Amino acid sequence: MVANEQQVLYFDDVKEGDQAPVKKHRITRTDMVRYAGASGDYMPMHHDEVFAKSIGQPSVFGHGMYSMGLLGAAITDWVGKTALTKYKVRFSSQTWPDEELRTEVIVKGKLVEGERHLVDLDCKLLNADGDVKVIGEAQAELPIR
Amino acid sequence: MNAESQVDSDLADLIGKPTGKSKVVLERGPVAYFALAVGDKSPIYQDTRAAEAAGFPGIPVPPTFAFAWDTWGKFPEIQPEDDIPQGSAVGAVVGSLMSKGGTILHGEQEFIYHKPVYVGDVLVGEGKVVDAYRKESKGHVMTFVVTEMVWRDDKTGDPVVTSRSNIIHRL
Repeated sequence: MVANEQQVLYFDDVKEGDQAPVKKHRITRTDMVRYAGASGDYMPMHHDEVFAKSIGQPSVFGHGMYSMGLLGAAITDWVGKTALTKYKVRFSSQTWPDEELRTEVIVKGKLVEGERHLVDLDCKLLNADGDVKVIGEAQAELPIR
Repeated sequence: MNAESQVDSDLADLIGKPTGKSKVVLERGPVAYFALAVGDKSPIYQDTRAAEAAGFPGIPVPPTFAFAWDTWGKFPEIQPEDDIPQGSAVGAVVGSLMSKGGTILHGEQEFIYHKPVYVGDVLVGEGKVVDAYRKESKGHVMTFVVTEMVWRDDKTGDPVVTSRSNIIHRL
């Protein structure tokens, strides 16, 4: 069975301050290993606890690009899988096993450039204490009604 | 010239240096698996019927897959002629920085999406160093190297994704 779960987000229906549905995920060591395999990034501090401790880290920690990927999924779930025109983040802090991560995606502004209807988004990935893991911005081109 | 100004002059020389070319095929298995690995369970990445039902001409790729796709479909027999050994200019500078110790960090990542790409597309990327600088912060010497890779559709030559990475050496 194939469900068309993609609901189209229209430019007309979005206003400044609107927030995308929050995505929450408790990150595990298995997530880190799966991301290492999926991306080909086998830097040992992301999967080898013995190595991570040997360089003074309390444990393995998540790939920055995993954080960016998780946040990216929350954005494209909302705006559409091919709607992004830009996506940029700064990696602020590491993610640790068993941290509860949550996304925050807020509409910062709307603009029309010729035929194109664009929405600017502020986006963050945080833990339960509100510590920022990645922070950045994205822009999506949306259809009009 | 003292050691510090030598580093600054090496960094200035780095700007504009090519970092290599790459040709990749966007393969279905890696795309489907990558989507799950970043927590995206949408059937659009798994099932061609779901992608078609949602109005896509094929299976699209997650927005950060551009950072990983040359792990997968970079087959040796399709690689473009390249007289620049991959990453050599950056590699030399990073190698010389690491010889003093310190840590390499991925500071920032940016993607500019010019056109959507789909499973089966063949892309050609060409990279260069766009910035390199040094600053001191909280007792650390931070060296920043920003590289940019422009990916184009192999058939049309149109740019599809520009990827910009800010790599930091912290000593």
